[in-house]
Amino acid sequence: MKHILLFLLAWTTIHQAGQDTYVCKNVKVNMYSSAPIEDIEANSTTGVSVYNSGTGELEFSIPVRSLHFPKSLMEEHFNENYIESDKFPKATFKGKIQEHVDLTKDGSYPVTVTGDFQVHGVTQTRTITGNLKISGGVVTMTSEFMVKCADHHIDIPQIVFHHIAESIRIRVSATYTALKNNNPSK
Amino acid sequence: MKRIFIAFTLLALATGLKAQQTDTSKKAGGKTSSTDSLLNSMSSDDKHQDVIGAFKATRLILSPTTTTVKKNNLNFLVIHRFGDIGTPTGGARTLFGLDAVNDVYIGFEYGLSDNLNVDFGRNTIGQLIEVGLKYAVLHQKMDDSSPIAITFLGEYGVRPYGSFSSYSARNSYLGQAIISRKFTSALSLQVSPIYVYDNTAIPDIAGNDKGFFALSGALRYKVTKHMSLVVDYEHPFSSFRTGANGFSDPLGFGIEVETGGHVFTLNISNARAISEINSLSNTQADYGRGQFRIGFTISRMFDFNHHEKWKDNK
Repeated sequence: MKHILLFLLAWTTIHQAGQDTYVCKNVKVNMYSSAPIEDIEANSTTGVSVYNSGTGELEFSIPVRSLHFPKSLMEEHFNENYIESDKFPKATFKGKIQEHVDLTKDGSYPVTVTGDFQVHGVTQTRTITGNLKISGGVVTMTSEFMVKCADHHIDIPQIVFHHIAESIRIRVSATYTALKNNNPSK
Repeated sequence: MKRIFIAFTLLALATGLKAQQTDTSKKAGGKTSSTDSLLNSMSSDDKHQDVIGAFKATRLILSPTTTTVKKNNLNFLVIHRFGDIGTPTGGARTLFGLDAVNDVYIGFEYGLSDNLNVDFGRNTIGQLIEVGLKYAVLHQKMDDSSPIAITFLGEYGVRPYGSFSSYSARNSYLGQAIISRKFTSALSLQVSPIYVYDNTAIPDIAGNDKGFFALSGALRYKVTKHMSLVVDYEHPFSSFRTGANGFSDPLGFGIEVETGGHVFTLNISNARAISEINSLSNTQADYGRGQFRIGFTISRMFDFNHHEKWKDNK
């Protein structure tokens, strides 16, 4: 009996690595640009994110086509003319949280994340500030930052009426769940 | 028995440690960490998506496209065809036909759903009023599980003025299957088999067919992100509508500019009529005789969809 317990204890250590890993499969992203005629806004709820609390690694992947605009024509223009989603289907961020956050303590912690931000096939190293909130073991991250279209080689044509701003505000919100097992396939 | 358990325990511990070791070594390597592979496994490569923007506009010069007006959107269309550029009625005296207006179409297209449109419009030629239904049955997919898009169009046309033997003699019908494919991000092609039936043959000459098949082909080539070249051609399979009887196949060339909400098409065509019912039934204008004209299409999209507000995850 003692040995079985010992075995189980050893077994659980394998899965310890998995407990550092938090995933979110419904990352909310909001894109907003103020424009002279009307503000342009789009939302996505199907991005994915992985957070490793042990190493501080934080990664996001957002399917660009999942960003939905209230106006279907805007969405078409965004995909076809600006972001070229057929060539660059994803926006990604791969970085590390600079601060060490103790996930066992409830609270709201300002965090700084440095990493590679890729949009429209162009990667920029960015340092983005955000907020990490822990409440009852549930980890939520939120952030708001600006993206310059020019940084990612997104041209703003002169003749369009839906004239977008040179900088787009991005808001991200993700609620994580601890990864139960160590098998990354599911 | 004890030994076996101990052996298993050690083995379990060893594999655990080993797994962690490889993890860290990968992380030190930088690019492909376990976090990376986990993220990749979670983000599905959804290639089974509709190809968008095969055609910017719902109409080219002569033909409608597979593109539909999206749900709760209203497309307002103003289409003009001016007078002949050449011929005695054209030339500098009429500013190459701009003084004369051959045909004007004013119409609306409304999206009942993303795939089903209802349209309504009125033409100068024949004072033809048209009501139609357009239905996108198949969308082209990015993974080529459907390599083409198919849209059906049915139009009913009525001429409320002029002397006809009966009410039904004023009617025309058109059925069309539009098949398109976006080959590259710049090049889209479409072909459409069409059937037209005029209850009174147009023109109403003895021997003219009331009902006939036709085929149209169109091409759009994107030159810049907002400007495309368009070629549009139609051929009616009618034994009466021949060159010997003075008929020509409608052929148009145009430049399409889209500016977000608006699509402008500036074109040259020999067809005087805008409506397919009219242009297929009766195009007696020939490029060789100087009977071609400037035309334009203005399309303005109004969107009645509601705005969604952003909420943080709580």
